[in-house]
Amino acid sequence: MFDFFDQEVLGIIGLTLRMTLTSTAISAVLGIPFGLWLAKTKPNFRATKFLKNLIVSINRTLMGTPPVVVGLVVFLILMRNGPLGSLGWLFTFQAMVIAQVILITPIISGIVYTAANRSIDRIQSFAATMGASKFQTNVLLIRELGNEIFFAVITGFGRAMSEVGAIAIVGGNIRNLTRVMTTTIALDINRGFRDQAILFGIILMIIAFAVQITADLLRKRERRQDENF
Amino acid sequence: MKISNITKKFENFSLDWQQETSFNGKIYGIIGSNGCGKTTFMKIAAGLIEPDGGNIDYEGLKPQDITMIFRKPYMIHDTVYKNLIYPLTLRKIKPNDERIEHYLEMAGLTKMKKQYAPSLSSGEQQKLSFIRAMIFEPKLIFVDEAFSNMDIESVHLFENYILKMQKEEPATWIIISHQLSNIKRVCDQVYFMHNGKPEAHGRADEILHGPQNPNLKRYLHNEILTS
Ligand SMILES: Nc1ncnc2c1ncn2[C@@H]1O[C@H](COP(=O)(O)OP(=O)(O)O)[C@@H](O)[C@H]1O
Ligand SMILES: [Mg+2]
Repeated sequence: MFDFFDQEVLGIIGLTLRMTLTSTAISAVLGIPFGLWLAKTKPNFRATKFLKNLIVSINRTLMGTPPVVVGLVVFLILMRNGPLGSLGWLFTFQAMVIAQVILITPIISGIVYTAANRSIDRIQSFAATMGASKFQTNVLLIRELGNEIFFAVITGFGRAMSEVGAIAIVGGNIRNLTRVMTTTIALDINRGFRDQAILFGIILMIIAFAVQITADLLRKRERRQDENF
Repeated sequence: MKISNITKKFENFSLDWQQETSFNGKIYGIIGSNGCGKTTFMKIAAGLIEPDGGNIDYEGLKPQDITMIFRKPYMIHDTVYKNLIYPLTLRKIKPNDERIEHYLEMAGLTKMKKQYAPSLSSGEQQKLSFIRAMIFEPKLIFVDEAFSNMDIESVHLFENYILKMQKEEPATWIIISHQLSNIKRVCDQVYFMHNGKPEAHGRADEILHGPQNPNLKRYLHNEILTS
């Protein structure tokens, strides 16, 4: 039988949240500035223009990388004979976070880039006409693009939460150590623990719903519908 | 400020402002048909875009002393009031309530103080953007068709404001407008641009009445016919 207050179940939920929040936070710190930087960079020369377009294309490709491929790559890097094997991180929390950061950062930077690209010129010009410093211009950019940035982070969080392929490979789905909700569901079905699988499924849906509600509440501040054009 | 030899190339257009030109303490007008390069020239002079070549000397003015007002102004996603005090916030200046009220009154925006700025009508946005630029007392002010959506009464109000300010605390104004009456009322000097070049310049009355340049003649003729 499934017992919600079972130590193990709570542990799995806690670990899932901890992993997801950690990787989303790291990805946000990397992805938001990168996306903004990419949107701000307007190359003048053919070679640099080509380079920028290439980076954008690579970013777009990485947004849709199959998670198992990321899992495989991180596995190869962290395995005992791999380049970072000496860290001993394979089948640990760190390994799962690394895999998720690789998966989510391009998603966040890609969404931020696309959104920023549309309005960044106008915002920067406006800031310049108001006499804003570089730093003040960046603050304004982040504030004005706040909703888009928030949307990017929420999307990344959702992706991290629902991911299973990569973390199963590099985490190893070890009981009490790297077993999270999605990998538990996958395992439970094989073991015939269907009730527990369904309940974890429901919990995942509830968390996804809660995140969505929070996003909508924060978005109430956004009054785009009032825009007059 | 002083500029010379400004050039800028786009795929289908090139700007070429060779002559050394000083803009100093007066109100200057720039006229010319669509696409002749007025906005491009102004953005370069205001330091918003880089020219391919040329010299710009602000003669001691800092970026904080320079502003440009657009036809489609940017509205911060916040209230009218927050938009208005934004340049003061940047300068860590505490807004003086009385002055703020005075400016809002002038722009007819007193009641809209708490309204979400992007929801203002385009004319109201232009008024807000004008007083937002005035509030920090810039010394060099570029105006790019910034009155185009205002009613005539408001245009006159702002014209009078510019003329009054010019007597009290002279600044340098460079104004692009297709409203020739506007140019005539406020500008001391006028430049006429054609195909990316300044083709004629002189006192406002010289340029607007009895010009020699054939392109300028044609431009004025058409503008007057349609207004
Ligand atoms: N970023 C740009 N890229 C390519 N062409 C441009 C760019 N900006 C302006 N142009 C072109 O330069 C010409 C002059 O534009 P502009 O200075 O805006 O004219 P206007 O005198 O109407 O203000 C136009 O033909 C316009 O299409
Ligand atoms: Mg223009």
